[in-house]
Parts: sequence; structure tokens; C-alpha cells
Amino acid sequence: MGPSAKPRSSQDSRHNARPEPLVTTAAPESASAPSKLELVQKVIMAPFNHKKNDSTRILSDLAPVIMTPRMINSATVSSRPRGSVGGSSFSSAKVDFASIGRAPHRLGLGTRRITSRDLQIVEATDELLEAEVPEPDGVASSVSLLRGFNATIPSSDTGRTRRRQMRSVETPRLGLKKLGMNARGLLAEDEDHEGQSIASEEDMVLVPRAENGKKKPKKRGRESLSASKTLGKEELSRQKKEILRDRENLHVRRSLINSEIVEITHKIEALDAIRAKLELDLLKLQEEELELEDELEGVKERIDFEQTTLRQPKQPSQPLHLPHSSRRRKGPAFLPSEHDELPPGVAFMTLEGHSTPLTALDFSEPYGTLVTASQEDAQPRVWDLFSGTEIGRLRGHTGTVKCIQVEDHVCLTGSEDGCVRLWDLRRVEEDDGWGDGEMVSLSDVAEEDEQETETTSSKSGIRNGSDNGVERNELCARVLEGHTQAVTALYFEDECLVTGASDKTLRQWDLTTGQCVMTMDILWAMSHPPPVVTPGFALPNHLMPNAGHFSVPTPAYSDGSWELYQDFVGGVQFWGYGLVSGSGDGAVRMWDMRTGQAHRTLLGHTAPVTCLQFDEIHIASGSLDKTLRIWDVRTGGTFETIKYDHPVTALQFDSRKIVAAVGENGVKIYNRTSMQHSTLLTNGHTKPVERLRYMDRYLVSGGRDSMVKIWSL
Amino acid sequence: MTTELPYAADAEVSLGYDDLEVLRRQYEKELAQAHVTVQTKFNYSWGLVKSPMREHQVEGVRLLQELYRSEPTRRRECLYYLALGHYKMANYDEARRFNALLLEKEPTNLQAQSLLQLIDKAVTREGYIGMALAGGVAAIGTLVVAGLLRRATRK
Repeated sequence: MGPSAKPRSSQDSRHNARPEPLVTTAAPESASAPSKLELVQKVIMAPFNHKKNDSTRILSDLAPVIMTPRMINSATVSSRPRGSVGGSSFSSAKVDFASIGRAPHRLGLGTRRITSRDLQIVEATDELLEAEVPEPDGVASSVSLLRGFNATIPSSDTGRTRRRQMRSVETPRLGLKKLGMNARGLLAEDEDHEGQSIASEEDMVLVPRAENGKKKPKKRGRESLSASKTLGKEELSRQKKEILRDRENLHVRRSLINSEIVEITHKIEALDAIRAKLELDLLKLQEEELELEDELEGVKERIDFEQTTLRQPKQPSQPLHLPHSSRRRKGPAFLPSEHDELPPGVAFMTLEGHSTPLTALDFSEPYGTLVTASQEDAQPRVWDLFSGTEIGRLRGHTGTVKCIQVEDHVCLTGSEDGCVRLWDLRRVEEDDGWGDGEMVSLSDVAEEDEQETETTSSKSGIRNGSDNGVERNELCARVLEGHTQAVTALYFEDECLVTGASDKTLRQWDLTTGQCVMTMDILWAMSHPPPVVTPGFALPNHLMPNAGHFSVPTPAYSDGSWELYQDFVGGVQFWGYGLVSGSGDGAVRMWDMRTGQAHRTLLGHTAPVTCLQFDEIHIASGSLDKTLRIWDVRTGGTFETIKYDHPVTALQFDSRKIVAAVGENGVKIYNRTSMQHSTLLTNGHTKPVERLRYMDRYLVSGGRDSMVKIWSL
Repeated sequence: MTTELPYAADAEVSLGYDDLEVLRRQYEKELAQAHVTVQTKFNYSWGLVKSPMREHQVEGVRLLQELYRSEPTRRRECLYYLALGHYKMANYDEARRFNALLLEKEPTNLQAQSLLQLIDKAVTREGYIGMALAGGVAAIGTLVVAGLLRRATRK
């Protein structure tokens, strides 16, 4: 039976109880149909039914208007099981009493409604009981909620108000603060008395006798407490107690407020931390957006490239060079997906093999081919970055290799012997094999190229690699000779190569023909600073203290070591006809490759420039003067100067970051968006880093510890 | 150290309307400022629990539950007030569970002990009332039936 039926049953029982004597008066009415009843009784043998019908009829007789037969029916039916259940549970436990007892008790209260909130709080019980209950600490242990309640509820002030009412003047024994309070209270009461005195004056006019009585309070208002009225010892000690309690309450309230302040301070700190983190997230998003833009551009470029190659079948005369060498600027390189799972800022691979500090390195693409060179080693090593193994060496140079550039399978190396060699990295493995099938595997294209070179070699002084006497070494496709001293910097794009050497010249080469197209003399440019253009004769070299041989000691690295720096040209790069070089005089020069003239010199570095790179907007140069400068290409002004503790030996940058080797064990990364510096140290070099190159999130660095480390950025 | 707590009798003493109104206004003011201090919230909820109106009690217990959730250091105290609130609302099961948890932490807590006795007493009383009601209904039922039967047989 639902609870809806229960109220009626109790109601009915009350009805039943009262009209018991009425049954007899009702009997004549019911007696008119006994035969009917008996008939029913006979048909349905159950005594229950008989009783039920009987009582039902009586009830309907009693209250025919209030109760429909159906209601009565349900009421009488429910009354019986109720009794039986109660009877059966007589012997059972207390809990059972509660369960059957509660319902009627609730009904007894009558209008109680079970609202959803009731249910809500009851349902929350389990969850709350599961929560941990730690030991109270802080203010929770010293001031209980009840103390706080008693101290802060409005009625805590009643004592004071009562006291104030009892006396008009404050006694001097009160504290300073209370004095102030009471001063206010005094004023208020004075006003009251003023009102009273006006009233008393009126009274005085009307009833002169009352004047004395009415004047008293006014007088008392001006006089001291003791003078006017004695409050009695009991009252005073009570007041004293009250005051003491009030003071304690104040103490409680003070500690409550203090704890709230502390808590709010904590919250503010937490919020500050969250805000900082969110700001960082925002920066990251910004960087990601930039990255996506770059990637999109790369993909677009790729589409263009693939369309053009589809339209024009590969030209046999340019077998070694891919048209898209601007990859270094924009970097549409696609990484193996596992790379994304590598933790950033960690060196995940170490290539050991060199025994001297690294002097140059470059790689084709992430997980592609790496070429590294070290001091006093004329044979750069070729590595497979996917497996991390050495797959061959580039044999041919007779001096330390100072600069390397790799584009796809084309590799150019510049050496102290003054030569630049062009290598085809596809043949590295064949070369190492020294197999018989080598000649067979040579492509027709290569042979064609070879023939072409031989025809031009006589007049240009550029010889084919095979002319060097190493017949089997087809690895070296070409040797470019012309510089009289060590080639220290080179940069090529498509068929155009520019080299810088310690003979203080820059040379431009055509890689298709192998010819030196132009020679740019830095010494001459130094003595003829633009816009003074007076070509024709060479100036005495008095401006250069060491014109014959350039050599300066480097400032000490972080481990105290130093070297004699002899690379006059630290870096070169060109774009279109614009060429930028950084040289030993500390100048960054901008050249026009159509005229061979330096049209602008950026001065600022106070020591040789060791590395350089530029994009559409900025030129970045690193120098032995321990600074890294960002120049504005258009205005030529310094955009930014980043100071380090040790000489800068290598750098690379993009729109978001500058990665630099600054004579320390860690690789320095300057985030250009957030202006934050970070250092790559995890699993890194044990001696200062000297060279580095990165693409996308893939960084290769070489250090003075002769190690090559591969990093995930 | 046992926590300082009021006895259950205190919960039966309701605050004046003005006092409760002051507490409510304070609470709502702080709610509007988006920072409700623990004490204010407790003051209001305790005032509500003390109130004789069931709606107030429910709201008071709800606020106490919020406090319990958000202030781990105040949980122990809140346990008692929750038990008391449920006791006042005649949710004896809940009251008993909260109180039991508190007694588990502080077996010597006098207030909790006395509350436990009160709960037990109330539960038995309810049981007796229920029993009495049920018994009464049964007795009256039998009387009525007997009377009817007698009347029927007399005929």
C-alpha cells in the first residue's frame, strides 16, 4: 500500500472509534436488507469478505457524502494488513519499530512535504561520508565554528547595547578603542537626552512638579556614572564579565578575519599561477599557429613543385640538384610520426666516432643523412640519422673541413686546403662497398655530367673528382679550386654557390659549369666603405693590422679552453642577388651579386663574426664578442642584441626562435615570441657546443667533446 | 582535543527572526561578492538549522553539506552539525551515520555521545508511536468487527 492510503486508514480508525454507539441507531436502516447480505454471505464463503462488506456499508452510511465506496473499500482493506504487520513485528528488533513507526509519525506531523531538496540532502550522505576527514588545522583548530558563530551573531552585541543603555557616561577604565566607540555612543545618547530635555521643558510649563523628576536624566547625562546612580556590585561584576566576553569575542573575530585574509592570499596566489599557466598556453597556441602556417606554406610549395616536375620531365643536365633548396628557410620537412612522441628538449641520440672537436655539420632532413667534420680530419663522415650509424666517409680533402652544406643528396664541403668539393651522397654506400658493380650502377646522367665537366675543366681550372687520381671514387662529383686559403664558409642554392675564405675574398660559383663567376674582395670593400665607389686600384692594407694572415684568440669557453680563430669569413648567405657576409673585422656586409659591390656595412660587433643567417626581415649574426645581434634588413639598424657569457660560434633562427651555440655545454634557445631563454642540457654535451643545425623540431649539434647529439625540440 | 560543539538542546533554541535575517543578509551579500567566508556560511546555516521551519532546516543542512565539501579542515565540526540537522529533521539514519563517523574520530566527544543517545531515544519513541498507532488501529478494527459480528449474529 502506498503512503497515500495511509492517512485515510488513520482517519477511518478515528471515525470508527467515535461512532461505535451509533451502530445501534443505524441498525434499523441496515436491517432492511439483511436477506441481501445473507445471500452474499452464502455465495462468498470467506468471512473476511462478509466483514468487509458489512463495515463498508456502515461506513458509507455514516459518511455517505465524504467517502466514496472505493475509498472506504481501500480503507477497510488496508486497515487489516496494517494490524497484522504490527502484530508480527512485536517480537522483532527496534529497527523494525522504526521502519513501521516512522510513517505514521510523519503523518502525525501532518503537512510535512518531502521536497526534492530533502531527497537531495539525504542522497548526498553517502558521498559525504566517504570523504576524508582530516585533522583540523590552522584556524579550524583554534577557533571552532560555534565560537565564531557566538562571536559574530548580532545578539553578541546585546550585552554592550544593554550596558550602554544602563549608563550615559562612559567610565575611564575602558580601553582606548572602546572609548572611541563610547564617544559615539555618548553622542547618540546626548541627542536622546536633548530630546528628553525639550520634552521636559514642555512638561515644566504644564506640570511644574514633574520638572525635578524629568530633569534628572538630563543632569545624569552630563555627570559621571557614580555621581548619579549606583548600579550595584552585582550589576557591575556582570558588566565586567560581559565586557571580558565581548573582548574575547573580538579576539575570535579578529582571528577569523585574519584566517580569511590568509586564505584569500592563497587563493590569489593559486589564481596567479593559473593565469601564468594560461598565458603560457596562449603563447604555445600562437607558436603552434605559426608552425601550422609554415607547414601549410611548405605543403603549398611542394604542390607547386610536384606539379612543375610532372609537367616538365626531369632534365638530364641537372641530376644532382633539387630545385627546392629554400627548404632551409621554410622547412617543409615531414617528420616520422614517432618524433612527436619524443620528449622535447632531450638529446635522444649520440653519435660517437670523432676524436677531435667538431668543425662543421649539416644534414639533409630529419632522420636523413648527416655529414660531420672535425678538426685535423680531412675526411668528413656520413651518417644515417635513422639508424645512427656511420655509413661512409668523404675522402679527398687534404685539410680540415671547415664548412658543410647538405641539400638532399648533394653535399658541398669547404676545406682548409682551399678546395670546395661537391659530393653525391647517394654513392656513399656504394663507395664503401668498393664493389665491382659500382661502374654499372653509375647513372648515365653522371657520366654525361662528367664529360661536360671535362670539357670545361681545362679553361676554368676546375677538375672532376676523378682527375684527382682516385679513379674509383665517384663519390666526389666535382672539385672547385680557386681560393688560396682555407674555405671557411659556403652557401649554395640551386646552381649558385658562394664561398668565403681566409684569403679575404668571397667567390660566386656556377655549379652547373663549376666556374667561378665572380670574386668579391672583402679587403677592398673594407677600404672602400660605401657609398664611396672608386674601383680600379688596391689600397695599402694599413687598415688591417694583420692583413696577411688573420688570426685572433677566441675568448675562453665555459670550460676555460680557447682557440686561435682563423676563419676570416664566418658566414655567408644569399637570396636572389642579395648576399650577406660576416667577417673577421666584425662587420656584416650586404653585397649586390650583380655588381659585386658591398652596398651596406652593418657595424656593431667588436670581434669577428662567426656565424650568420638572414630571412626576409632580419639578419642574425653571432660573434666572438659574446653577443648575438638581430639586424633589420631594411633599415640596417640593430633590432635586438642578446648578450651571452661566452663567444657565439653557431646560430640558426626562424620566426619563432633562435638556436645558438654560445661556448657552453648547453644549446641556447631564445624564444622570440615569449622572449624567454632556455637551455638544452638533458643528455647533452659535456664540453661546449660549437656547431648546430636544426629543421623543424629536429636539432643536430656538435661539441668540443667530439660528440654529435641529436635533439628533439 | 575534542572539538567545541553545542549540545543538541541548543539546536532547538531558534534564533529571532531579525537575527536570522541579519545572517541571511550577510550571507547573500557575500554571495553576491562571489566570496563567502566560512564563518558567514556557517552562521547562516546554523541559524537555519536552529529554525523550527522544515524548509529552513533543509536549506541549513544543504549549506552545511557545501561547507563540508569545500572545507576539509572544518569537516570534523561539520559532521556534528550535519548529524544534528538530520536529527532535527527526523532523518535518524543519516544523523546516526554522521554522528557515528564523528564518534569514530573523537570517541570522547560528549556532545556526540549525548546526540547518539538522543537519536536512539527518538528512534525508539517513533517506534512506540508507530506501534501504538498500529496497535490502536488493530484494536479499533477488532472492536468494530466484533460489534458488527455480534449484531449480525443477534439477528
